[in-house]
Amino acid sequence: MDFSYILGILTLAGINLIAVLGLSLLTGFTGLFSFGHAGFMLIGAYVGVWFNQPAGGSPAGLGLPFLVGLVAGAVASGLMAWIIGKITLRLKGDYFCIATLGFGEAIRLVFDNFQGFGGSRGWPLTITPGPSMIWIILACDLVGVLFLANLIRSRHGRNMIAVREEELAAQIAGVNVVRYKMLSLIVSAVYAGVAGYLLANYLTFLQPKIFNLQKSTELTIIVIFGGLGSISGSVIGALVLTILPEMLRFFSIWRFVFYGAAVILIMVARPQGLMGGMELSPAGLRKARAARLARRAILAESEAGSNQGGRR
Amino acid sequence: MRKILFALLFVAMVWSGYAADEVIKVGWFGALTGDQAVWGDTEFNTVKMLFEEYNAKGGIEVGGKTYKLQVIGYDNKGDAQESVNVVRRLVSQDKVVGILGPNSSGNAIPIAGILEQYKVPDIATVATNPKVTVMNGKVKPYNFRVCFIDPYQGAVAAGYSYEKLKARKAAILYDISDDYSQGLRDFFIQNFVKLGGKIVADESFKGGDVDFRAQLSKIKASNPDIIFMPHFFKEVALSARQARELGITSTLIGGDGWPSEQLISIGGKAVEGSYIVNHLDYKDPDVADFRARYRARFAKDAELNAFLVHDAVLMLVDGLKRAGKVNGEALAKAFTTTDIIGITGRIKISAETHNPEGKDAAIQKIVNGDYEFIGKYSPR
Amino acid sequence: MIQFLQQLINGLSLGSVYALMAVGYSLVYSIMNFSNFAHGGVIMLGAYFGFFAITALKLPFLPAFIVAILGTGLLAVIIERVAYKPLRDRKAPFLYFIISAMGASIFLENIVIATIGPTFKSYPPIFDFTPLQLGQIAVGRLDAIAFIVSAVSLTALVLFIERTRLGKAIQASSYNMKACTLMGVNTDLVVLVVFALGGILAGVAGVFFGMKYTVYPQIGNITLKSFIAAVFGGLGSLPGAVLGSLLLGVIETLVAGYLSSQYRDLIAFVILIGVLVLRPSGIMGKVAEDKA
Repeated sequence: MDFSYILGILTLAGINLIAVLGLSLLTGFTGLFSFGHAGFMLIGAYVGVWFNQPAGGSPAGLGLPFLVGLVAGAVASGLMAWIIGKITLRLKGDYFCIATLGFGEAIRLVFDNFQGFGGSRGWPLTITPGPSMIWIILACDLVGVLFLANLIRSRHGRNMIAVREEELAAQIAGVNVVRYKMLSLIVSAVYAGVAGYLLANYLTFLQPKIFNLQKSTELTIIVIFGGLGSISGSVIGALVLTILPEMLRFFSIWRFVFYGAAVILIMVARPQGLMGGMELSPAGLRKARAARLARRAILAESEAGSNQGGRR
Repeated sequence: MRKILFALLFVAMVWSGYAADEVIKVGWFGALTGDQAVWGDTEFNTVKMLFEEYNAKGGIEVGGKTYKLQVIGYDNKGDAQESVNVVRRLVSQDKVVGILGPNSSGNAIPIAGILEQYKVPDIATVATNPKVTVMNGKVKPYNFRVCFIDPYQGAVAAGYSYEKLKARKAAILYDISDDYSQGLRDFFIQNFVKLGGKIVADESFKGGDVDFRAQLSKIKASNPDIIFMPHFFKEVALSARQARELGITSTLIGGDGWPSEQLISIGGKAVEGSYIVNHLDYKDPDVADFRARYRARFAKDAELNAFLVHDAVLMLVDGLKRAGKVNGEALAKAFTTTDIIGITGRIKISAETHNPEGKDAAIQKIVNGDYEFIGKYSPR
Repeated sequence: MIQFLQQLINGLSLGSVYALMAVGYSLVYSIMNFSNFAHGGVIMLGAYFGFFAITALKLPFLPAFIVAILGTGLLAVIIERVAYKPLRDRKAPFLYFIISAMGASIFLENIVIATIGPTFKSYPPIFDFTPLQLGQIAVGRLDAIAFIVSAVSLTALVLFIERTRLGKAIQASSYNMKACTLMGVNTDLVVLVVFALGGILAGVAGVFFGMKYTVYPQIGNITLKSFIAAVFGGLGSLPGAVLGSLLLGVIETLVAGYLSSQYRDLIAFVILIGVLVLRPSGIMGKVAEDKA
């Protein structure tokens, strides 16, 4: 086992985690499914790279520093999310889903046809050697998790969860449903954009088909696998589902077979995913324990109740 | 196929265990799955066969020591991103001293950065786009190839069409998602127009498309003398069939992305009478010996790429011997002065471009489902 | 003018392939109210079944064709039992069905890649490709046959749904499944038949697609366009699916012919987004119910 190889896998896992965290907010906590998030990754990647690549390259960039590219990519993705949100957020459930699919693919096709960025042939990147990718990614992961955790615990987060649980009721209770859906979408897109930019820099090669429907679906699958509504679930899911296939490269051809079967299994048998909405944190574990005790109490009471009298 | 692989592995293990010699690890990558699998397959088989032959004679001598040759091969699925992945694996984890392949320019161009970072040279087999070795006027220190390049190939195709086939109006159908196809189309147009010809239709599709009738109808309406199809055999076969279905009778001409048994088996009568610019004549007596050995070993015919990877192997072994040590940087330096005779011709590498100088093109015509050699052609 | 007519014919023949695929989507949607993304995988396997029936089982064309479509009909039913029935029984939200469908589609595509291999296979040439000439316009022989078979299959389907008792049950279920159960309709059987029919149509589409364009595991991705066609024509409406498909085929071909072939895929997704935003019920669809 080579150190640089392990580093490579961890880097990829870290990048995936960022995108998954964002999607987790949208899907796990706000209840909106998206099959087009790779599109936001693509925008973050291309805009960021365009800002960052040297002006003499082919295709040419703007030659600005790495961090400027990162911010540019993130902002561009957020902007795109705002535009898309304005158009699609009023659609119901599965129609929104299909619309995100449409947008994800449309974005990819637009960049495929735009020759200025290399089109479908791709953009080989000149990477200036600097601090190791892994530190940047770890930093982003940390910031990402902390920000998300805080957001969820805040009033905004609670409103998003309310939208997920019962949209109509939340609206009646005075929650601005559209506003929170939009906020959730934009934040998730920004996360995806950052992930896309980092991915491009890691691969040293950028091509629209990296960000295809398969990638979008992969992200959604990881979120579902980890469990909707659980940050630690998303973290575990992203790590496991990125590292495992790389380690079992022999079986990498079966990886998507496993994904497909796993998704069906999860939907049929355990839709709450791995963590089932629970968190792997002190507060989370306490909540889980409380829930378990409550369930036991209710069961005990109903049993005791049915022993009284012949009420069938 | 799998049985042969395992048998090979067993043989290789026995041979290497037998002498307990040191081993030189060489990487190979190419398409073992996907549209171009037939080419990757033939390349990998050839490398394995040649390495076996060397090892059977005791191995090769580098810097006074004898080494056995070991190939570590990966499938890049014909994909550029996957190519970057497997090359990274080859140089950082498997620690190979040199890499053979890929056959496709689109896959060869993006790997330059990693090669330079880890100082491991690569010999591309049939990647013909100039950007593989020279980008923005600068030569890439770790990229080399054994085949001719597209400015030359485009000139040959254009020259032959104009001069020998007397075509004055040409139509083009190319793959816009592929560096090879795009580049070849550019050079064809440049040369054909310079000779006085006219491009009457210039249509494109995206790799993976299967229906070309919209583009072909436009081509038909432009009434060309000849249609240039600088893309790969699967799409050529489909587009040729659809062209004939639309009633297009113009002659078709293509480049080295065509030649494969599958072109004939899928294209059938649609490609009959078409011309191809190729790297060599398969019936050349110089290659007959290799063809026979390949056939004996694998029970099928060698495809185009086999001949070129054969010469890449010769170049690699020659480079190692002259470098005198098993080191990527030294090997790359040795490559810049390569001058050997391979079965595809003389391979004299230019230090400025890392390309072989003066390789001739062979014109083939598809006659009765077979590739018939028409002659060598050099553009004026 | 001739050019335009030729492109029109090209578009219609492309559209008739989409139509076969789109009808399957619409059929399932009309009953189950979700988009069966696994349909693409079934079509792909139809192409493979036909291929192996001809090459491995050495059957002549017609028996191989029958074997293929029966195979896909069975496959569709199996998918329904495994991936959707448990969700139906649990009255799971419709979103779960879509996810499960996605999972099934990924599973099918990749199990073929893992077992049979991702390299394409091609049908032995069965029909000649000298074209049929209608004046200056050329129509491919295979295209003409595919068009006729599509028309026949779709007519048979419509007759079945309009004239038979089971067909009426299907129609009724598409309006209100629950009420039908109360009225004594065996809704389980209805669902089974609907999926089987969808599967058979998928098989027809798959075999013709494979013959025209070679057989490969990613065929399911092309059916994304037929899904867009179904949405365009109105999910849940069979004539809508056919109309949407023909229109999409023609629009796509005209865009490729007159604008640039690069936009042919993009225009499909633009249409999709346009339909969803402006008129989600499509051209002929039922008015979208409240999905709150």
